[in-house]
Amino acid sequence: MHVMTVSAFLSFVNETFKAIWDSTGVAVEGEVSGFKISQGQWVNFDLKDETSTLSVFMVVRDLHVPVQDGMRVRLFGFPRVYPKYGKFSFNAEKVELVGEGTLRKALALLRQKLELEGLFDPSRKRALPKYPSRIALIASRESAAYGDFIRIVNERWRGLSVDLYHVIVQGDQAPGQIVKAIEAVQSQPYDAIVLTRGGGSFEELMAFNDERLVRAIHASRIPTLVGIGHERDITLAEEAADVRGSTPTDCARRLVPDRGEVLFGLAQSQKRMRDVLAQWLEDWSHSVEYAVEAVGRWLVMLQDRLAATDRLLRSLDPSGVLKRGYAMVLDEKGAVRTRAAGLIVNQPLLVRFQDGDVNTKVTSAPASPTLKPVQPTLFYAEKETGT
Amino acid sequence: MPKKKQELDFAKGFAELEEITQWFERGEPDLDQGLAKFTRAAELTKQLRERLVEAENTIKEIRTKSD
Repeated sequence: MHVMTVSAFLSFVNETFKAIWDSTGVAVEGEVSGFKISQGQWVNFDLKDETSTLSVFMVVRDLHVPVQDGMRVRLFGFPRVYPKYGKFSFNAEKVELVGEGTLRKALALLRQKLELEGLFDPSRKRALPKYPSRIALIASRESAAYGDFIRIVNERWRGLSVDLYHVIVQGDQAPGQIVKAIEAVQSQPYDAIVLTRGGGSFEELMAFNDERLVRAIHASRIPTLVGIGHERDITLAEEAADVRGSTPTDCARRLVPDRGEVLFGLAQSQKRMRDVLAQWLEDWSHSVEYAVEAVGRWLVMLQDRLAATDRLLRSLDPSGVLKRGYAMVLDEKGAVRTRAAGLIVNQPLLVRFQDGDVNTKVTSAPASPTLKPVQPTLFYAEKETGT
Repeated sequence: MPKKKQELDFAKGFAELEEITQWFERGEPDLDQGLAKFTRAAELTKQLRERLVEAENTIKEIRTKSD
């Protein structure tokens, strides 16, 4: 007979379980009940079917999907008896959600959680550069999505450098590979990251609802454009992206402008500039014309003023006065004599007419100074009497 | 991979052209500046147009360390 201690027995049982149980190849499937997390570290719940219940234990860090009572899950791990209390449980190391209902429920829970954290906040979304020159494309090189995306980019734009990071886009490995690619491109000077795949069933697209992937997109320092080809559902990856494309083709359209339109725009803008310049030139030439006219008007005005001045000067010219019938009297010294006072008998005088001078002399003494003054500078002399 | 220096950077080229277009649209008539800017715009437009017609897109697969 062989006697064992309780500890040794349980240790033997646990080692036996581990040895015979294929923890990655066999899963236990059932419905979750009594799900709870203790101290933020330990997860406990029951897994049930119609007739049986299995107690489940796991650590929070191994739980990558949101779990809730009523969900159908597949558990990978190993059976174990907890030595302290002798309680049999299943130590889960990985949880897979089963069925569209469960997946949708989990997705709703995750969406709610990430939304509360602000991962889909529209205010933090960045615009893509208008004219990208270098981009990182994360896609499967074998996918139709990749082909569609490149075809449309080639149709629309030129001079773009595309670095392809090939990843698988569905299944367990997909989120990890995509996250790695997103992290790898962060140190490169890309203008944008494009993550795309074609359509698929809800379950096939679940990789794009993976929490790690959504967080990696949210954390990207490079603007992100995510487009998953499908109709009904928007994945969380798309919601976290800066820009969402509805399909790979739509991603290409959102990423690069249409060069035909850009060429047209270039021609238009050049025409606009030319028109503005032409308008300015026209305005300028009008201003010059106006200035020339103004100078012309000024010249005419100047001429008028000159003529007026000339007329004034002419009117002041004594010869003009002489022509009108006046004569000028000068004494023997050539000084103009404007008064009779001071003249003496026999004093020689010179009377100047418009056409010549005549010598004469004073024949009588001047009249009394109380007499009415005569014309001050000139006196009217009949030519006949002056000679 | 950094671009060759002599290649016109699309983003910078378009940004400069846009700035010039806006300058014209602001409508502060200045013939001397206008002519200089128009000449620069024509030069930029020519280069951008040439690149849009002649350049090719390049696609290169990058392998990350874990591949």
